[in-house]
Amino acid sequence: MIGLSPLSVALLAAVVTGTSGAILAWRERPEAGATWLALLLFGQVWWTTFLVFELEASTLAAKALWYDVQWLGVVIVPVGWLLFALEYTGRDRYVRPGVVAAACVAPAVTVLVVAMGDPTGLITADRRVADTAVGSFLRVDPGPWYYVIAGYTYLLGLIGSVPILRLVRDDARPFRGQSAALLVGTAVPWVSSLLHLTGAIPVPGLDPTPLAFAVSGVAYLLALSRFRLLTLTPAPRRRARQLVFEQLHDPVFVVGTEGHILDLNRCAADVFEVDRRSAIGEPADAVVPRYDALAGERGTVGPLSVVGRNGRRPYEVIVRGVTDDHGRSIGRVVVFHDIGEYLGQQQRLNVLNRVFRHDVRTETNLIHGYADQLRADPSDERALSVVKQSASRILDLSERTRTASELFDPVSEPDPPVPLGEVVAEAAADLREEYPHAEVTVDGDVPDVRVPATLRVVAANLCSNAVEHNDAASPSVWIEATIESGWVELSVADDGPGIDPAEYEALTHGVETPLEHGSGIGLWIVKWGIDQVGGRVSFAEREPRGTVVTVSVPVGDVPSGDSPPGDAEGSGTIASGDPASLGR
Amino acid sequence: MRSDGSVTEPSEQKSPPDASPTPTGTTGDGRRLLAAFAWGSPFTALVAAVEAFVATVLLGVPVTAAPAVVALVAFAVYSIDHVADADADAASTPDRALLARRYGDQLMVAATLAYGLAVAIAVTGGPRALALTLLPGAFWVVYASDWVPDLGRAIGTVLASATPDRRGLVGRAGATVTDGGRRSTLPRLKDVLVLNSAVVAAAWAIALTFLPIAFGGTAPGPVVAVVFAYFFLRSFVDAELPNVRDVDADAAVGVETLPVVLGVERTRHLLYGVDIVAAGTVAAAGAAGLLAWPLAGALGVGIVASVCVTALAGRIEDASVLGVAPDCSYILVGIAVAGVQLVG
Repeated sequence: MIGLSPLSVALLAAVVTGTSGAILAWRERPEAGATWLALLLFGQVWWTTFLVFELEASTLAAKALWYDVQWLGVVIVPVGWLLFALEYTGRDRYVRPGVVAAACVAPAVTVLVVAMGDPTGLITADRRVADTAVGSFLRVDPGPWYYVIAGYTYLLGLIGSVPILRLVRDDARPFRGQSAALLVGTAVPWVSSLLHLTGAIPVPGLDPTPLAFAVSGVAYLLALSRFRLLTLTPAPRRRARQLVFEQLHDPVFVVGTEGHILDLNRCAADVFEVDRRSAIGEPADAVVPRYDALAGERGTVGPLSVVGRNGRRPYEVIVRGVTDDHGRSIGRVVVFHDIGEYLGQQQRLNVLNRVFRHDVRTETNLIHGYADQLRADPSDERALSVVKQSASRILDLSERTRTASELFDPVSEPDPPVPLGEVVAEAAADLREEYPHAEVTVDGDVPDVRVPATLRVVAANLCSNAVEHNDAASPSVWIEATIESGWVELSVADDGPGIDPAEYEALTHGVETPLEHGSGIGLWIVKWGIDQVGGRVSFAEREPRGTVVTVSVPVGDVPSGDSPPGDAEGSGTIASGDPASLGR
Repeated sequence: MRSDGSVTEPSEQKSPPDASPTPTGTTGDGRRLLAAFAWGSPFTALVAAVEAFVATVLLGVPVTAAPAVVALVAFAVYSIDHVADADADAASTPDRALLARRYGDQLMVAATLAYGLAVAIAVTGGPRALALTLLPGAFWVVYASDWVPDLGRAIGTVLASATPDRRGLVGRAGATVTDGGRRSTLPRLKDVLVLNSAVVAAAWAIALTFLPIAFGGTAPGPVVAVVFAYFFLRSFVDAELPNVRDVDADAAVGVETLPVVLGVERTRHLLYGVDIVAAGTVAAAGAAGLLAWPLAGALGVGIVASVCVTALAGRIEDASVLGVAPDCSYILVGIAVAGVQLVG
């Protein structure tokens, strides 16, 4: 055994804490930063251990040998620190083989020069033994590369410290504790090294950096054990926040203070069909839909009607200011929240409420009244007929309510697109079967395209409405289907008395009132079905008598970003997603 | 020592079937855990120190810090192993596994500090002592940690991506298993038949034999080979005996050990053979004058104890004895050697 100087005993304390920390870190692999922290601590232990050997060696040659061996630890420490800091703070995209190899170039050169005996004095120009009061050191005169690698070491230390420093002010207490311990662990050796390089240490030849490793070892141990350094790392936070931004189902734009797009998420690009790369840096009003309505706004705006990939939809827009740590405004976040489904549900509840409160009640009163009449005169055929008709209407209402319910069943898979010809033929055939006295005509050729399956229900309701509310002795219905700009237009015309203005008003405003409401829910089913596929419904009078109802739906089942032809032009149009038509 | 890294069978040691009722409640639980701790790594450390002392005497080198270093390393390695394999040990050593789970973090800090202290002390013994102290840690990494399988997995992935003929190339590389790089091509040594016990035995034999020499700074001569062989053979038997205890559990999880592959009886016979080789080595060393006969006799006590324990394998109801009895035999050897030293 070798006799130990007091300085060596102090250095061994660094060996104890460093070894302990290295094993703990190694065991936490593959947690973010674990491998690199283990490497960093291994470097510290290596450096310190061979410094002890150097101190206790008795000859210049032996001291020089152990001094050279120390270089491996010396160059490992900064590389380990940098890579640890990057990975631990979630910047692992920089920790790639290429970056690691680049960071290791200067250290590898250093070790290579040392291994070759440093013949040109690049690292140490001269070596001699310096006996001091605290021990016998190898005193070296540094060569030029010594300063290069020293500068490189400080540079990596500084770069690695930046992301760690930011955690000191983090909201989460564990991360503050971790970062404080890490900074103490790295600052103490670095300051010691600086003192040595600047000649501030009064003992010639003594580099106190390994002594400081005792402090950093305790700090790292504290971070590992008390602050759960590697089991509670901030690394996933950065990626998770980015993931939330990217995966959010609401379109989000980040707008700078000068009104230019800084970022947008995938949903924004998809829904509003924006090219992400080219959108960055563009003026916000050229990219963000309805940006004119948001200028200078904060908080919740809307609902705004916006045409996107899913057709025209109502959006509630949330505008939030972004500020830096000093409270200065640095931009705005604009989030579009599609509230079409919510408003639609409200509307459906509203209509169903009316159906039960008004329609069913009216029919029930009718049945009740005529039932009394039948009790008085059981042979009253008219009363019997009225009772049966009322009951049929309640049954029909019930069937349609079920249809509406199925139309919006959230758990059912949407049916695949169906041929338009099949839809038209089916609607005409059903109408002829149900109302044999009605004259049903299909005008022109039906385009050979596929349309959303919802159009089946829509067409059936349009056709039955055209006959049900028709007071002509022999009702006539004309069905026509055309295609324009990728949109299918299905028109159903009749020669009836026309749609009651109150019903039309209710459909237009999207809300019913006790004085202004429809009868039944047939037209509502048409509207909701069309809303679902991002289409539109329009009403027009037919000359000399009757009504023409036209629905526009996209070809196939994927709505395009284009508006239906003639959208929002003129009266009589109820477009899907139009807030005005949805009760706002 | 043992192939599963275990030293004792704490729960059953403390409360065999015919013992008084097991204490219940928090106090009882605490006592059980305390006993599990005492019969776990600290007991291994004590036995390791005794073995290092025996080796020191056999080698004729001065008493140094070697026993302390061996004890610290044993405590560290076995504590880390117990924590790492707490889930796997739940069936065979439930109390120890419970302790490792409940106080895993504290045990790890204590174990790593112990290893750090061992390294620091070893530094005072010079570079060779340092290297020998690091050796058990390196052995453990190869033996029990997932580092080797991870490495194998990485190699498998690289090979699989480098060639469409994955099976062929990996096969040529000496792989055992491959599945597109997802499964490791290299198993943990802990899971390899015979090699697992041989690695453990070699790690112990190297540390026990050469650390006293490194610390003592002397070259004792041919007796080194005798001491190494003695500790290697004894440690091999000690490592395999707990596998008899764990035969059902190992078979259930598909781990191949000698008792699983050969059966308990044939394993017993094989271990008798190893003990006989150890006895022959000691006798030959005595006859050649490498060991004083009293010391050879002291070692013989240990071998006899080992044979007795081996004879119990598969024949006793309380199989936990197989976990702790081999270690107790070293205490006997230590007492015998100390007696020889005192008597002179």
